[in-house]
Amino acid sequence: MTRFSKCFLALTVALLVLWKVPGLYNFAAADADKSPFTLYSSVLQEFVQIATGEEGTVRSTADGRRTFTQKEFDAVLPFFYARQLAADGRFPDSVAGRPMTPQQALYHNFNVRISPSDVRAPQVGLYPLLESHSGRVQLEMPSDVFRMTRSGMEFVDMAANTLDTAKSGRFTRTLAAKGFRFPARALSGDPNARKEYDAGYLVVDAAGGLFHLKMVVGRPFVRPIALPEGVEIVRPFITEPRDRSCFGLLSARDGALYALRMPGYRVERVGVPDWDPEREQIVIFGNPIDWTIRIASRDTERYYAVSADDLRPIDSLVRRDDSFTLPGLHFTSPLDRYVRPRFGR
Amino acid sequence: MMQAILYKEWIKTRRFVPVLFAVVVGFALYALLHLHRAIVLKGAAHIWEVMILRDALFVDTLQFVPLIAGVLLAVAQFAPEMQQRCFKLTLHLPCPPRRMVGAMLLYGSSVLALCFAADYALLALDFSRLVARELTVRVLLSAAPWFLAGWAGYLLAAWVVLEPAWRRRMFNALVAALWLTLYFQAPGAEAYNGFLPLLGLWTALSGSLVWLSVVRFKEGCQD
Repeated sequence: MTRFSKCFLALTVALLVLWKVPGLYNFAAADADKSPFTLYSSVLQEFVQIATGEEGTVRSTADGRRTFTQKEFDAVLPFFYARQLAADGRFPDSVAGRPMTPQQALYHNFNVRISPSDVRAPQVGLYPLLESHSGRVQLEMPSDVFRMTRSGMEFVDMAANTLDTAKSGRFTRTLAAKGFRFPARALSGDPNARKEYDAGYLVVDAAGGLFHLKMVVGRPFVRPIALPEGVEIVRPFITEPRDRSCFGLLSARDGALYALRMPGYRVERVGVPDWDPEREQIVIFGNPIDWTIRIASRDTERYYAVSADDLRPIDSLVRRDDSFTLPGLHFTSPLDRYVRPRFGR
Repeated sequence: MMQAILYKEWIKTRRFVPVLFAVVVGFALYALLHLHRAIVLKGAAHIWEVMILRDALFVDTLQFVPLIAGVLLAVAQFAPEMQQRCFKLTLHLPCPPRRMVGAMLLYGSSVLALCFAADYALLALDFSRLVARELTVRVLLSAAPWFLAGWAGYLLAAWVVLEPAWRRRMFNALVAALWLTLYFQAPGAEAYNGFLPLLGLWTALSGSLVWLSVVRFKEGCQD
């Protein structure tokens, strides 16, 4: 018993040292994020950046060969700074040869951010489904939530905490009639009333089929979405940009990234080699001409510019983070929202 | 003999245990009162929404209550023995010391189990009436590491209190304090789900540390 107790104490102290000492060192040695903010310039047709360092804020091309004043930089990124250019009366008549107004720029601009911690987190399995055509200007949160079971879709009234069997039956029957196979494998929506419209949910069924589900005037709207041959969607992500041109991003089994584009529910491959939503954060700044896509893991940042018309690649840039962090025992990670032991950086 | 030991522990803590029970259950009732007040003010739907979309649990006031209860129980149970030098006499009773210390720890752990079970039952009953089963399970699973921290706090505090030498006692207290931070790392609801069995095992094994203090006490270790 005494020997076991001594071994247990030694193990506990060793684990504490492995956990707390690297944690303290990394906390003390942590630097501010020095990664420059980078976007693809539709005007210069190359990546440009804003870096903050000892010399202050430096605006330049990504290769550093050309620097800009703040006003010049606004003009280099006319979509990102559309509001400022419009306020100064400097918004150009055309960008990259296309006639453009500030209103058009702002309407078509969108941004998306998906982090591994959004994906690898405990899910409660209850989802509010907003009314997408209420006839009101503002969206309202519903009075019920739904869950996907092995055999159907169940709505639970929140005030009474009881099952709404009529509504549940209606949605289950419609889904089944459209070829949906229960249970759902993955679903994504943004149940939030503070947005311009609600696109509902993108749902992957048990057979791997992709469906668009929303509620229109209290009735179910279910639309099966045709996938390209051989493509298996693992995770859908709803996006809901203002111009409704791209309802979602789709992460495929082979690592490819697809965009669900409207009109016509077209599933188009995005011109990036791969994206692992469980390990890499993706940030997209889109405008009517091109999208800047940043895919960042712990030690690498990959930037891609793709055409907004056909999502084909235009340019790319890779940055590596060489900063040293002491490896040790961790119980939390920026990549997920779980507490469990793991060893590494 | 075991019954006598358990009775001795009850005599020692008979004034403290009812107060502890009342305070621990009182905090659970306060958390539930807060939940009911929020439902009256904002409506049940709002409570569901913030629980689903913002990870709200409505029982956060309970977070450190089990830990404090565990530490206080260990102090109430073992500090008088050390101060009045009764522990030496206890170890000379005609019963193997390991069984005796085990019985003392079993008594304390059972008292905590009673308090925590009452809390858990209150939370489970009230939440299951108000919200869907997924949300009730979410609250109970999210609170589980706090209750494990209560047992860990009790066992580690017993290890610290029964240690005879002050210098070593400080070391034990530091190790215990650092280790207890492990129970409060959750970045959100249900963060410990997969880790709970291992954490529970580690919590149970931390009872073995108490034996080290007992051995050192028997050896007459002093500063």
